[in-house]
Amino acid sequence: MTDITCTFTGDRELTLIAYLYGDIDPAARAAFDAHLGGCERCRRELAALGGVRRQLATWQPQMPKLSVLGNNEPSAMSHQPSAISHQPWWRNMPAWAQVAAALLFLGVSAGAANLDVHYDATGLSIRTGWSRPSNPGNQASVANPANIVNQIRPVKAVTEDQLTALEQRLRGDMKTIAAQAPRAMSSGDAETLRRARALVDESEKRQQAELALRVAQVLHDVNMQRQADLSKIDRSLGLIQTSTGVEILKQRENINYLMRVSQRP
Amino acid sequence: MTWTDEELVARSIGGDADSFNELVLRWERPIYALAYRTIGREEDARDVCQETFLRAFRALPGFRGQAKFSSWLYRIALNLCRDWIRRERRAPIVQPPEDVDLIELAAAAEPSESIEDLVARRDLAQIVERAMTLLPEEQRTAIVLKEYHGLTFQEIADLMNCPLSTVKTRLYQGLTVLRRELAKEPSV
Repeated sequence: MTDITCTFTGDRELTLIAYLYGDIDPAARAAFDAHLGGCERCRRELAALGGVRRQLATWQPQMPKLSVLGNNEPSAMSHQPSAISHQPWWRNMPAWAQVAAALLFLGVSAGAANLDVHYDATGLSIRTGWSRPSNPGNQASVANPANIVNQIRPVKAVTEDQLTALEQRLRGDMKTIAAQAPRAMSSGDAETLRRARALVDESEKRQQAELALRVAQVLHDVNMQRQADLSKIDRSLGLIQTSTGVEILKQRENINYLMRVSQRP
Repeated sequence: MTWTDEELVARSIGGDADSFNELVLRWERPIYALAYRTIGREEDARDVCQETFLRAFRALPGFRGQAKFSSWLYRIALNLCRDWIRRERRAPIVQPPEDVDLIELAAAAEPSESIEDLVARRDLAQIVERAMTLLPEEQRTAIVLKEYHGLTFQEIADLMNCPLSTVKTRLYQGLTVLRRELAKEPSV
């Protein structure tokens, strides 16, 4: 091994690092440039450390969803007040989803509170199951269908005209709602659809990329394993060939010996 | 028009919350990357990142602009990382999040990069991660600040409270250890 000596007069390591990162004053750079021309050791070390730097560049940590602001998307660095949204997340939901959520909430709440909503001739009455009086007699009467029939009180008679008017009014209301709904929901729906499509597309791309990577890894592993197996087989064949050769050699020696012995008088 | 960090700091001190949010959006990724490369754990790096901005927000009225805002932020983050390492009383362990790297790497792949190249690059990145864990904290921090954050020797010296020559020595020693460790890997 050749021992290459360096004749640099200054602090070699500090200058080497400064030169490597280009953070060096021009005079020192010129001096080290001149030194590099005649110093193979420094040239080699500089090249090797440059290689390490290139390898370091491959290490890029994965960026998780950062939640310092609860928003992972970097802003466009504009400084309009709208650049950073402070609206709660549910404000971004379409109107129909907000209504559905509200109804669901009411339904669940009513169920949880065991609400009993009752409307008859006496008017609308609401009471919770927990405030309902516990009356064994009532329970018994409810269990008997005949009692239920007897308990039904006649409600106020409704005329056919009133029913027709009600029907027409309901139809009108439904038409109005049907006509308004697409307009009210179009912008929200389109946005939701766009987001859903974007999410699905992104998910598909990621899945494809992941699949491709996994396939490549499997292929890589299989190739490595195959090469290892082939080299093993090669070694085994070599051993067999050697032992076979030795065996043949011994056999030949035996045959020669036998021939020599048989030819003796 | 893009505001400088210092302008945003001044506006934040004046009570403009949006300006501070802007600073967070601008710096949360570099700070997370610094924390992750220093302590090597995704969850803890995220906590350090959050805590850094929380402390910065609290201390903002006292920030007089004697250093760059980014240097000030790096200093807070590095102090938190150091506290974490002391608290944990162990060398940082780099643990890439499971099943994330493939996807992210694929997303980060150049269009011309083949899958084989991608796998090779990921393998190399893991080797580098492992090699980095072998370095003492001071050398690792110096390399992270220089290689991945592009700080000058003087900025690193200020952040690490050490002479400029010490920074260079740490870099030299760290890179030399990495060179030796990486040379041991057959695939590098």
